[in-house]
Amino acid sequence: MKSKALILLSGFMLALLAGWGSLLFAADIKLVFRFNDPEAKEMRAALDIFEKENLGIKVELQTIAWGNSRDQFLRETAVGEGPDVVHIAFVWPKDMGNAGGLRPLNDFIKNQNIHGGFDTFVATELTTNDKGDIFGIPWTTDTWALVYNQELMAQAGISNYPTSWPELKNASKMIHEKTGKTGFGFPMGSASGNTIWFLANYYWWSHGKALVVNNASGGYKVGITAQDIAESIDYFHSYVKEGHSPEAMISVSEASNPAIIEALLSGEQGIAMMPPNMLRQLVEDFKTRNPGKALPFVTKIFPGGSAGSKTHLGGRTLGINAHSENPEASWKLVKFLTSEIIFEKFYTKQFPAQKVLLKNITFGPSLKGYAEQLALARSWGAYADSPAQIGSMWNKVGRIFGDAFIGTISNQEAGMRVVKMVEKELK
Amino acid sequence: MLFKRKKPEHFFITIMLAPMMVVLISFYLYPTFYNLYNSFTDLSLLGLKQGGEYIGFDNYLRLFHDEGFGHLIWNTFFWLTFVSVSLRIVLGVLLALLLNSETLKKFKLTGITRLSLLVPWATPAIVAVIAWRFMLDPREGIVNQILLSIGMVDKPIAFLAKLHTVWPVVIIIIIWNSLPLVIMSYLAALQSISKTLYEAAEIDGANEIQKFFHITLPQLMPTTIVLSLMLVVWTFNNFVYVWLTTAAGPGNYTNVLATEVFIRGFVDFELGYSSAIGMLMAVLMALFGMFYYRYLAKKEFSEIM
Repeated sequence: MKSKALILLSGFMLALLAGWGSLLFAADIKLVFRFNDPEAKEMRAALDIFEKENLGIKVELQTIAWGNSRDQFLRETAVGEGPDVVHIAFVWPKDMGNAGGLRPLNDFIKNQNIHGGFDTFVATELTTNDKGDIFGIPWTTDTWALVYNQELMAQAGISNYPTSWPELKNASKMIHEKTGKTGFGFPMGSASGNTIWFLANYYWWSHGKALVVNNASGGYKVGITAQDIAESIDYFHSYVKEGHSPEAMISVSEASNPAIIEALLSGEQGIAMMPPNMLRQLVEDFKTRNPGKALPFVTKIFPGGSAGSKTHLGGRTLGINAHSENPEASWKLVKFLTSEIIFEKFYTKQFPAQKVLLKNITFGPSLKGYAEQLALARSWGAYADSPAQIGSMWNKVGRIFGDAFIGTISNQEAGMRVVKMVEKELK
Repeated sequence: MLFKRKKPEHFFITIMLAPMMVVLISFYLYPTFYNLYNSFTDLSLLGLKQGGEYIGFDNYLRLFHDEGFGHLIWNTFFWLTFVSVSLRIVLGVLLALLLNSETLKKFKLTGITRLSLLVPWATPAIVAVIAWRFMLDPREGIVNQILLSIGMVDKPIAFLAKLHTVWPVVIIIIIWNSLPLVIMSYLAALQSISKTLYEAAEIDGANEIQKFFHITLPQLMPTTIVLSLMLVVWTFNNFVYVWLTTAAGPGNYTNVLATEVFIRGFVDFELGYSSAIGMLMAVLMALFGMFYYRYLAKKEFSEIM
């Protein structure tokens, strides 16, 4: 009888303990962090540290492809859902914030300033709207550079790396003629996240032109002629027409396409373009595949025109969902993610967007081109400030270029269509 | 008296159908009408919270006046739907005949061939497309390596970058992935044809071709009617194959109505305009269904249903 009572009492105590435990568990703040880069494993390890430092906060890591991340978040936030902290491109915060999807961070910045201060981050103008609302903290920054296989360049007899667009084409041609390998293999495809958008803009910017520029009355206008665009299409298409870049590039839209990466790794391609995280992965893969072999890759800046070499200052931002039930905890997570330890230990393929941390980066020989190119990179500026949607212009430019590459429209017609399209976007 | 007796039956039928009606209204009618409403607005993905402003038929007028509209219709009707469905029907019949043949049975290959047939069908579309893209790659792909090794071509073909190969490639992928369903349906139909029909024809002196055209094909007609309708609706509305294979490119060359809905809605953020394209697709399929039922399938459907 006594033992039965003891068993019953123990059961009761256990149930009480379980209930207390579940209450404790329920008291935890649960955050959702949506992250779009491939380093999910490393990011999880970083979040484990955050959870240890912030007992009572649990973070669920969600991943999504970059191509779907913007519209997915906008759909969710329109109905009051979505992750607490979101990983977005540099040029998205203003649109997302103005649409009511992102929470303004001004109060957090004012009262619990982010380490080093908000002004110590790059491209803060891209996160701040006309009213001064700050919708994100720049997290990582980068730009693109050219990657050369120095062995193929040497075999082609080129010792001076190209500094102009005609020189780049000549180098591509020489590599193909002297080695039989691909010269400059760059994605010319038309998918919505196409790479030709970047290349075309680099070309135009280096010649002092841009799709969108400020006008005298404080508005925006098209800053390029149809003829300029037609010339750029002709320039890029000539790589394929002359045979030193494969025709298949017309169906490839991403710089990370296996066709390009494999060609670089196997020494079948002399020149490519990519962001630094991709180069770091390429270097790792090369070392794994060829242990002890000297790295053949060097990075250099893009060629220049009358306005010098110009690329875009790209990067990623962290924003907090306007509907987050835990904005304070979300802010803690944003502060943690932008701290030095993340870039030292976990997110090592990316460059921090905080100027102080960026200065501490040791670029090393294979990344030297990026260091030089970052100093020459420009913000999307008027593109992002104007009423035009960058994503829409990006998609349409890629498609119009694609139509010209396959010959369904002439280069001149393509130039006119681009100008007309941008004019329409600016209305 | 009769009416009174029927009343409880009506009540019972209504009660039994009610859950399905609720599901239909919630998941079909409501989204359809909501989409119809959106198609008359300038709703943007960035303005989902605020909603769009009523703009009448502007989206439809813009769609019909778009310079690429004819190209979209041609791609959707001819390439995506007509060519791929026709080929699947023809190949489906031929391969089902082969699988049902005595030769395969004689060599005891029936089981293995039928089993291997299920592999493409069981492969998710995304896996199928990625595998095909790898196989068709000009530098590393096995297709080009085979073509080069047997001397059919002297340099690799960029299948997805050339105008005369890109649509055939998309269609090959669709056929590879979905043909097994067609074959299995025809195989089942073939096995249900009474042997006495063939025996009678043989007594009358009919040869194999006559037996095929006068017995097999007419007996397969109900299956063909149902399969064609299903394939047309599935294919016309299909987004996955074109998007994953070509992303509607190069340029806009393989763009179809389904990919245009996605591009306009989720790349250009024009949800109102995108809804108008979606409504047009629904109307076109409804018209097709009515025409198909009225002129082609009424007899077969009345027998089946």
